[in-house]
Amino acid sequence: MGHQISRRTLFRTVSGLAVAGALGPALTACAGGTGAGSDNGSLTMTWWGSDERHAAYKKALAAFEKNNPKIKTETRYSGYDGYFDKFNTQIAGGSAPDLLQMDTALVAQYARKGILAPLDSYVGKSLDLTGFSKTLLAAGTVDGKLYGVPSGIGVNQLTVNRTGLEKLGLKLPDREWTWNDLKKIATEVRKKSGGTIYGVDDGGGSTLQCFEIFAREKGQPFFSDDGRKLGFTADTLQEWWEFWAAMRKDDASPPPAITSAAHNDLTKNAVVIGKALFTFDSGVYGAGGSITDVQLDFLPTPQGDFSGAREGNFVNGGVLLSATKASKKIADSVKIMDFFAQDPTAIKDMQLLRGIPPTEKARSLISAGLNETDRRNMAMADYISQRVSKATDALPAPVPPPKGADQIWDLLFQSNLAVAFGKKTIKAQLSEFFDQAQSILAG
Amino acid sequence: MTTAKTDEAAAGEAPAPPAGPRERARQRRRAARRRGGGWWPYVFLAPWFVGLFGLTVYPMLDSLYLSFTDFDLLTPAKWIGAQNYTHMFSNDPVFWDSVHATLLYVLVSVPLKLALALGVAILLNRPLKGIGVYRAAFYLPSLLGGAVAIAIVWRQVFGGDGLFNDFLGWFGIKGQDWISSPDTSVYTLILLAVWQFGTPMVIFLAGLKQLPEDVYEAAAIDGAGTLTRFFRITLPLLTPIVFFNLILQIVDGFKTFTPAYVVSNGTGGPLNSTMLYSLYLYKKGFTDLQMGYASALAWVLFLVIAGFTAVNFVAGRYWVHYDD
Repeated sequence: MGHQISRRTLFRTVSGLAVAGALGPALTACAGGTGAGSDNGSLTMTWWGSDERHAAYKKALAAFEKNNPKIKTETRYSGYDGYFDKFNTQIAGGSAPDLLQMDTALVAQYARKGILAPLDSYVGKSLDLTGFSKTLLAAGTVDGKLYGVPSGIGVNQLTVNRTGLEKLGLKLPDREWTWNDLKKIATEVRKKSGGTIYGVDDGGGSTLQCFEIFAREKGQPFFSDDGRKLGFTADTLQEWWEFWAAMRKDDASPPPAITSAAHNDLTKNAVVIGKALFTFDSGVYGAGGSITDVQLDFLPTPQGDFSGAREGNFVNGGVLLSATKASKKIADSVKIMDFFAQDPTAIKDMQLLRGIPPTEKARSLISAGLNETDRRNMAMADYISQRVSKATDALPAPVPPPKGADQIWDLLFQSNLAVAFGKKTIKAQLSEFFDQAQSILAG
Repeated sequence: MTTAKTDEAAAGEAPAPPAGPRERARQRRRAARRRGGGWWPYVFLAPWFVGLFGLTVYPMLDSLYLSFTDFDLLTPAKWIGAQNYTHMFSNDPVFWDSVHATLLYVLVSVPLKLALALGVAILLNRPLKGIGVYRAAFYLPSLLGGAVAIAIVWRQVFGGDGLFNDFLGWFGIKGQDWISSPDTSVYTLILLAVWQFGTPMVIFLAGLKQLPEDVYEAAAIDGAGTLTRFFRITLPLLTPIVFFNLILQIVDGFKTFTPAYVVSNGTGGPLNSTMLYSLYLYKKGFTDLQMGYASALAWVLFLVIAGFTAVNFVAGRYWVHYDD
């Protein structure tokens, strides 16, 4: 008959190709080498942020180019997602930008790998850092050298849906509030809303704005000074997870499905979708511009009411501007950093889009033009930084996070989720957390 | 044995090759060279060789080397022997999470997808009016399949306030957040994979077209019903196609990246339930800057896929029927 498909015709053509073609990409994704910056005449600059931030950066840079006609900039920008993945690939491929917006949490990692250019030799010459406080500059300082110019004060605060709170007839808690106050108001939100709204998003897996401060109140930093170990004890983490387990049990915090959906997705944040009134995610407002229509307000991360508690809050550098070491235009990049740090045009263009401006001078320049929410945001940041600088019992600001820090933050998030989903008991998850964290920090 | 060495080309070679097919091939080649066309084919093949060695062979060997190093993409690689491999198997729970998620994904989605593809192919193998439109409509999801857009749509459909829960609501069923609950999230990915059954369906359709009418006619005369005809004629005759699709879909399944990345927002969550292997590999290489480790992961994937394929070929001897 000969109608059937023969082995030869079938496999000669397709199977070998399919297997080889299919596997090729997986294996070939991994070649690389180190390389240098761009070299096509113009200075490349990258940043991440919101649309408002993109527009402000571009406006300010246009003004800069007008005053410095010899420097041409080529800009690339995106959201935060994938920003550093792309940067890593560019470095490996030798096409890294000359100047980039850097994350305070990552500056140490890149500085220590020799990717970023030290800026100390420019300070006081082409880089004017008058008015920047020492604690603020610490955010860009790694092993005694300056690798990034902070763009603003980063403080740890909660973002509050003020409209929603007023609708329920509740008052904004006092700025001097405790974790117990948070629990109280979150439970009340649940009650007054007739069981439709949770109080505060689940902070059990949040690191920077949340658990880190809780641990610092007990005198325990997140990482040890040499970055080789965790700085907090298992008891502290256990107490923390038990606090949040109770919050979930009382419906003061949302169930894990909501927490998990918001992971890496601001649009699913419990406050943004109207499922909670308090959030630890500063991105709801802090990335420059609000992503919800409701009136927002701000509160510092609560203080401990547990025995021996002390001031846990601290001030960091928001985002930074850094130059890459392989760049041939470091001097020009420094001029742009200086422009964003001190020039009134740039300060007015950027407003709060890169955080609360770092200097007194800059803050007074913009304060008149701010809207209501921005003004509240700036006032709260001011309050927190003053409180921190006055506190006599505060730990020093955290050391730059060590290699693997982001893996540990993710581990904390996943661990809390495992407990919340009921996949693990707190005890079991605790030992797993410490085992894995130790292995990450040692490797 | 003869010692029929002819010209200078073979003069330097010792010991003398036996005459036979090989010698004859040699003579043919020499003849071709004398005609002056010997190297031309290689010129035309050059771009392919450049691609093969530059884009496949060299990077593969490089990644094999890197898999034995500690390489962070940014500073030079450090040789650490087999540490990446031992760490993977002894001390990396996320690796095992990703293996679990990937095996579940492949072993559930591939059979379902093939069954659906075959079923629809049989339905579409009829002389209906406007059959072309139906075929196109069923193939459409596969055209869109790899697209990021579809994965985003999937996230919306199976999210807590998504379309799927609205649909369940019509029947009075209260849904949940399918994407962000660790017990169901991987099944949304499986559903997405099964929905994209177009490619194996088209291949099945081509196979069905080749099946001999006369066998069916004979069977009909003998009184064979629809089911008998399917299990006794269609399926056995189609086994080579089933086998081909099976291999292809398994390989494809192991490499799945885009939907897992998009649906989980690049996290592989919740609780690593959608941490498909390729996604973990990507995260290790480009996010955690452990490119050496990622290379080792890539080679393990390569070996696993090769293993699965080999097992399939061996097992295939017992159920795949060829004409020749």
